[in-house]
Amino acid sequence: MEVEAVYLRMRHRLLCSPGQTIRIKDLAQLVGPEDVIQEIGHMIVHKITVQDKTIVIIDLMEVLKTIRKKIPLLDIQTVGTPQTIIEVQYKRPKITGVYFVIVWILLFIGAALAIMNFHEDVSMQQVHQKIYYLVTGRRNDYPLLLQVPYSIGLGLGMVLFFNHIFKKRFNEEPSPLEVEMFNYQQDLDQYVIMNENKENEKKAHDD
Amino acid sequence: MTIKIITVMLIGLGAGLAVGAGFVAILTVFGIIPRLMQITKTNSKIRSYEISIITGVLFSSWYGLRDYTISSSQWLLIPIGLASGTFIGMLAAALTEVLNVLPVLMKRVGFKEQVLILLMAILFGKVIGSLFHWIFFVHL
Repeated sequence: MEVEAVYLRMRHRLLCSPGQTIRIKDLAQLVGPEDVIQEIGHMIVHKITVQDKTIVIIDLMEVLKTIRKKIPLLDIQTVGTPQTIIEVQYKRPKITGVYFVIVWILLFIGAALAIMNFHEDVSMQQVHQKIYYLVTGRRNDYPLLLQVPYSIGLGLGMVLFFNHIFKKRFNEEPSPLEVEMFNYQQDLDQYVIMNENKENEKKAHDD
Repeated sequence: MTIKIITVMLIGLGAGLAVGAGFVAILTVFGIIPRLMQITKTNSKIRSYEISIITGVLFSSWYGLRDYTISSSQWLLIPIGLASGTFIGMLAAALTEVLNVLPVLMKRVGFKEQVLILLMAILFGKVIGSLFHWIFFVHL
């Protein structure tokens, strides 16, 4: 009997609901003979339980074990990442709206206070008075003509940096915030992969 | 006398070197210039941006440390204010970026879709906080 190869590629991340049974077709992309793929795809690897909490890591080895139990002679070629992160999404409680408003107010007041502290810290008032004198040749203790555009500019600069005018953006490139959030997510994933996966660590000393 | 003059000049030169290097280092860490080039797609103009920064620093340190005035129209202050505000705004945005505040916060509170609205909170907070400072706070 000729053994045909099946190519298997684990997905990076899978979102599922509590109590769901995880089949291989959810976890991985498969390429190979149609009937074999159908059979493999429906094999059950894991069932989400309450003990799993929010994150489960399914290792490639686990998937291979499941397949070999049923079809021992199959040639499986694996490509890509060796594990899938399963995120269990529980229903969110209703108070998110209140939280959101609280966070919004927190950020608003925090940002306002931070900018005032910054101005005091670098003696911005004196600098503005000096600029007023430099340009006009007159002294003015409250150079609002400079400071109001300055304040508007502050907002403008932040919009520029984050590449957003509310919903509209200047170009297709991702904003630094999006890149930063992506990097952070990657770091988290890396941590979870190393720490949630029991197979990754093995104690070999014999005491 | 000559020795004194030379010593003072050396100290001035050394201090200037340190501060100038520090200024450039800060600009590099925040990555404002690459960001501006990315938005405007003018990566080839990097040399002239360097010259712009250097002349800006030289101009402001010369005129800022002396008591000069160009006795010009006060309406010139509006573009100056707008430009300096934009620069500081970008600096502030970059600073939160470097400190990684927002990704952590977004993850903690779990509002992925509403990032923009939370960003607006910071933005309006900055603008209104700044206006409040200049219009009311300085009179207290």
